[in-house]
Amino acid sequence: MASILLEMSFRWCTLIGFSGIYILRIIAAKFCRERPELFSFIRPKPINKTACVDRGLQIFRWLLGAMFFQVVWQLPLGVLAAAPVNDGYDSLVRPFFKAHCIACHGPDKSKGELALHTLDGDLRSGRGVERWEAVLDAIESGAMPPEGELQPDPSKRKAVADWINSQLRAYVKAASKEVPANTTRRLTNFEYENTMRDLLGVDLNLIEYLPQDPVKPYHFNNTAEFMLLGPEQIDRYLEVARRALESAIVDLEKPKSYQSRQEWDSGESNKGFAKSLKRNEIAIHNSRRGTPGQGMAVKDFPRTGEFRIRFQASAVFPNGASELPLRFVMGYNLNINSSTQEVAPVGVVHLRNSPDNPQVYELRGRIENFPVQKGRVHRGKLQPDRLTITPQNIYDDGTLNDENQFLYWPRQPDMPRAVVDWIEFEAPINEIWPPKHHTRILFDSPLRQSDPENYIRQVLTRFMSRAYRRPALPEEVNRFLEVYNLLKPQLGSIESTMRETLAMLLVTPQFLLHTKSDGKLIRHEFELASALSYFLWGSMPDSVLYELALTGELNNTEVIAEQVQRMLADPRSKDFVSNFTNQWLSLAKMKTVPINRDLYPRFLYYVEAGERAGTEKPYIPTIRDYMIDETIGFISELIRQNASVSNLVDSDFAMLNQPLAAHYGVEGVEGQRLRPVEIAAEHRLGGLLTQGSVLIGNGTGSAPHPIYRAVWLREAILGDEVKAPPAEVPALSDSAGDSAEQSLSIKELLAKHRTVESCNDCHVRLDPWGIPFERYNAIGKYQRLVPEEGTRIRGFDRKRDTDLAGYTKYLEGINTREVFAESRLPHGPRVDGMDQLKAYLLASRKYDIAENVIRRLLAYGIGRDLNYRDRYEVENILQQSSKNDFLFQDMIVAICQSSTFNRRTSNERKRDNR
Amino acid sequence: MKNKSWHLDRRDLLKGGGVAIALPLLNGMGAGLNRALGDNFNGMGENAHPKRMLVSYFAYGAYMPESPSGVPRSTEKVDREEHHPWSWWPCKNAGPLSFNESSSPFKPLKEDVSYFRGLDHAGGWKLGGHSSGDVFATGADMIGAEKTNNISIDQVAAQLHGHKTRYSSLVLGTEGGTGSYGSCKTLSHRGPGRPIPSLHKPQEIFNRLFKPYTGKGVEQVRAGLKRDASILDLVLDHSRSFKNRLGKEDHGKVDEYLDSIRALEQRVERTSKWTHQPLPEVDTKGLNLEVSHKEPEEYIRCMYDLIYLAFQTDSTRFATLMLESEQSSNSEMWNYATYVLGYKGATHDIAHKRPADYSGQWDQWRAKQHAYFLQRLRDTPEGDGNMLDRTLVLWGSAHPHASHSTKNYPIQLAGGSRLGLKHGRLHEFVGEKKVPLANLFVSMLNAVDVPVEKFADSTGLMTEVIR
Repeated sequence: MASILLEMSFRWCTLIGFSGIYILRIIAAKFCRERPELFSFIRPKPINKTACVDRGLQIFRWLLGAMFFQVVWQLPLGVLAAAPVNDGYDSLVRPFFKAHCIACHGPDKSKGELALHTLDGDLRSGRGVERWEAVLDAIESGAMPPEGELQPDPSKRKAVADWINSQLRAYVKAASKEVPANTTRRLTNFEYENTMRDLLGVDLNLIEYLPQDPVKPYHFNNTAEFMLLGPEQIDRYLEVARRALESAIVDLEKPKSYQSRQEWDSGESNKGFAKSLKRNEIAIHNSRRGTPGQGMAVKDFPRTGEFRIRFQASAVFPNGASELPLRFVMGYNLNINSSTQEVAPVGVVHLRNSPDNPQVYELRGRIENFPVQKGRVHRGKLQPDRLTITPQNIYDDGTLNDENQFLYWPRQPDMPRAVVDWIEFEAPINEIWPPKHHTRILFDSPLRQSDPENYIRQVLTRFMSRAYRRPALPEEVNRFLEVYNLLKPQLGSIESTMRETLAMLLVTPQFLLHTKSDGKLIRHEFELASALSYFLWGSMPDSVLYELALTGELNNTEVIAEQVQRMLADPRSKDFVSNFTNQWLSLAKMKTVPINRDLYPRFLYYVEAGERAGTEKPYIPTIRDYMIDETIGFISELIRQNASVSNLVDSDFAMLNQPLAAHYGVEGVEGQRLRPVEIAAEHRLGGLLTQGSVLIGNGTGSAPHPIYRAVWLREAILGDEVKAPPAEVPALSDSAGDSAEQSLSIKELLAKHRTVESCNDCHVRLDPWGIPFERYNAIGKYQRLVPEEGTRIRGFDRKRDTDLAGYTKYLEGINTREVFAESRLPHGPRVDGMDQLKAYLLASRKYDIAENVIRRLLAYGIGRDLNYRDRYEVENILQQSSKNDFLFQDMIVAICQSSTFNRRTSNERKRDNR
Repeated sequence: MKNKSWHLDRRDLLKGGGVAIALPLLNGMGAGLNRALGDNFNGMGENAHPKRMLVSYFAYGAYMPESPSGVPRSTEKVDREEHHPWSWWPCKNAGPLSFNESSSPFKPLKEDVSYFRGLDHAGGWKLGGHSSGDVFATGADMIGAEKTNNISIDQVAAQLHGHKTRYSSLVLGTEGGTGSYGSCKTLSHRGPGRPIPSLHKPQEIFNRLFKPYTGKGVEQVRAGLKRDASILDLVLDHSRSFKNRLGKEDHGKVDEYLDSIRALEQRVERTSKWTHQPLPEVDTKGLNLEVSHKEPEEYIRCMYDLIYLAFQTDSTRFATLMLESEQSSNSEMWNYATYVLGYKGATHDIAHKRPADYSGQWDQWRAKQHAYFLQRLRDTPEGDGNMLDRTLVLWGSAHPHASHSTKNYPIQLAGGSRLGLKHGRLHEFVGEKKVPLANLFVSMLNAVDVPVEKFADSTGLMTEVIR
């Protein structure tokens, strides 16, 4: 009661204060007239005295009315709410804590860094809300009290959960009226590069020139609090913007076009073992001298501009295959046996035509994105810089490694070969000059001559409205007109002045920070349009979104749904899926797990001879690369089909191409293109849990790692936060991989964990989740039998095994013991292996999994970690999607329609309240 | 690098008047200010030689099989044992140094190195085992009051003396960028929440240091900088009015931006002043700037070479180098031990498993690279001594042997014998004698003429090594 009275007196003060301002203004105005020299800092604006009094009175009446209403409305509520607050706490919650929690989370011990004895029963104060939420989660999910401890009566458990829920909900409701938590953030490097591409119309690699975004496993790199904007950052932005504008705005004089061409005839090759290879043929992964596989060196080329590679090609298929992927890379000469060579991919064409029907293909790109090999001094003469165009035959049926020495040479004559008759290189492409990306900025107009000032103003207005993702304000345009005029005398031409002006424009906060509404001149719809496009495209809004924002139509749930579906169908959404999936599932680490070559001699491709023998072959796609594509493609497919989230756990299809299918043992998949393939139970695939990217990334390269996999399952799929091992706990050897025999003693390792209490507290809830993965080995293959413990496995030995079949036979000889993959899940049933784990997850944890996906998507969409305030909004989305079995696309739509995603800034609220 | 033509004459440099006088004042620095200025402007003798500092960090702790906690166990059995040949510590007991296998690369540098046992930052104690590298150069209490870290030792020095060189500091790492809190990829921090991204590409570092004008004439560069300054001014204005249109929850972000633009303006001004000084000419012979992580030894030596060149040309006096971060699982660094020793596992695994036949060898390899740098400094004459005599080089990690422990760092300090350092001993700060690592930092700062009395949680000076 007292608090309500106190609050009311505050309100009176505000009321008087507000209306008082107008009275003061009248007095001030009077003084202004009488002693103007004293008040020169006040804008000399004529003040209408009666209007002021009227407005003051009006506000007074209005506030009075509002207050009266509030008091009437709040009084009974307040009394009702105030009474049970502490009652509930003292009679229900505190005894519950005392009986079940305080022993471990109290003054004596605070396991998991959580203590409950300092919580008071008053959630409205906002004290300890995070802790309350953690308690609620633990009680609701049944994770606490731990097994083996006295369990509370289910009805009591529910009563306590309900009590916390009601209190927390009330607090969140009240708190959300205060300053919104959403803060603006800078573009991530990924968003920056995409935005520059769409804004300037030139697709350049810019990320490599920017300081890295902060990375945190299982978190998104767009989290606002980590996104810093230091001077170094701005410095780089300026450099990068200048670089990009150098490409986007050209000089008017049509540049010279550089052309090169090389031809290969179909004569017999006379060199050694490759006699069967004609001079215009490229064998798999082969770059033999005299064939197109060696590459074509270009010595005359510009440093900026679009290039075109044309070539005539076909393919020979001795083994009856029907498609050959021919990939073009450009940069250094790949025949140099060194680690410093660098190339970037230009593109891939899939050849299906035979040499009697040769066809001409074309690939395009920007020269700026390719590494130039600097000329070296050779016999006292400086060689010119060069770009080498190398076509690669990357046909892969998944068996390339299955032969004896020199890779697959004995089979080479039977394998598909690409035929390339000639290659042409041309740059810059200047058929249309100036190019489109130039005229989009400096458009054609008679004004350019007749009224230059007006022309520049128009150019700036158009560009700024796109760069700022909302109409540019006149004062903003004026400011940059000023910049332009300052630069013009020094830089001369319109083109070079505009380059510098726009570069400066691209380091303003309006461009670098996400677009925010100001509640006045900048409509909320523009903020929404940007939020949508950065969520689903990782880039700026296109003209459709912009128009919808301009007309105000966007702020409508139907329109949002329509737009989300349109955007997800657009190819630009690929960027969203790969960026989101990579971070959500922490995929990148799988690329750096050192695969034990002795145990898995045929998984990757290695350099056979020379200085770099034994290292991985660079610039050749491997199964490991395709595995990342598999996972990203899988999520893409779920979104495309609008499939249920339960597919994450198990699905009736897998995304495969031929090498992947061969790896997993699925038959009948041909070609390198990834596609959904129907799978059967015996393939032991389906869902995310059995995908190579996940299994390898959470293994050691020699053995599976149940702890890594358990952490992954709980973090990425179930949405638990797994704490890192505390600093003071001595590390048990937590990764196998030193030698083959050690890699199998993981079971003992886990047992050892359980005997140490400080380890056991966490690991008892962790390890059981990883054990059912055990039948999937370190390279993601299903493996039921392993050697007896303590057996020394020898790696692949050419002399003894001759080929893979020989080694496989040896392994089968020693693989005699069934893998142990049985565990009892915390608070769950006993499961043996992946199938039972999946069945349990689908039957009992689908809701949690869907909630996790929603939380991840939402956190990624709004650019911050979620907290207790978002709890009930997430619950709404979850409820809504549960009606339809959690369909992926529908969930994304619901997220975009939610008030958390579409939150208003404090400025806007001020306006809304006015 | 025998070419002398690019060795700058400091007299010319000072005559040119390129020294900016705008000095930021740090707390408690007033007294030392005059001395600092005096050194630079008056003395042309001993004092005219620059005083330099490098902080170099290696990840995942080091091999100490005899005492995983980083300080000696006092059991009789241990007392009787010989010193482990592959322990990171060069010798068993405090006192004069002798070198075992692991530390053998430092043998020729005996008179120029000291080891410290039992030092650490209290601010790092509670940080997770993979995060304490964040505070190695800052000593910040990131669990408590300094959640976004704080200023690092090199930046404290750079704030006072940075204006005397073309670059106030040089921040290098093997992964580049800033990383996030808890997984930093840089040692240097300008202040709370302001990590300085580390540079990691040799070619880029070289260009930034020695070819900053990218082939343009100096007049042209100067005109460009002047233009930049006036335009940044306009941008600043433009952004201020933008701030007013945002809700107050977003003001912080824009302030961060405005600060950055202001800092940039100052830098432009500074760069502009330095254009009056000729750039040093550097011989790139033997410098492979295109080296990649696939060749760890060449790569790391190249990074050290770049620091050496920056010091030798007096392009900067304060540098940091983070060799691997604690969380490099997404980079090639993860495989360093595989490339170098043929170890079948991630580099990080060595820290956890401490395999007997790889751990010491791995430490020795790292020691070799560091000793290479020290040796290079010592082989370069300067005045009547050599460069190492006026360069403090701190080398260490934020873990002992027990890889999740964040206490008792392995710490080595080298160089600076003409800055008042006494070397050749292993010092021990155990039990009642324990002092914060920050004490050493304070003494190091004082030795390079930064008269601070306190740094992070320091309680005094490290009189054991520094006068």
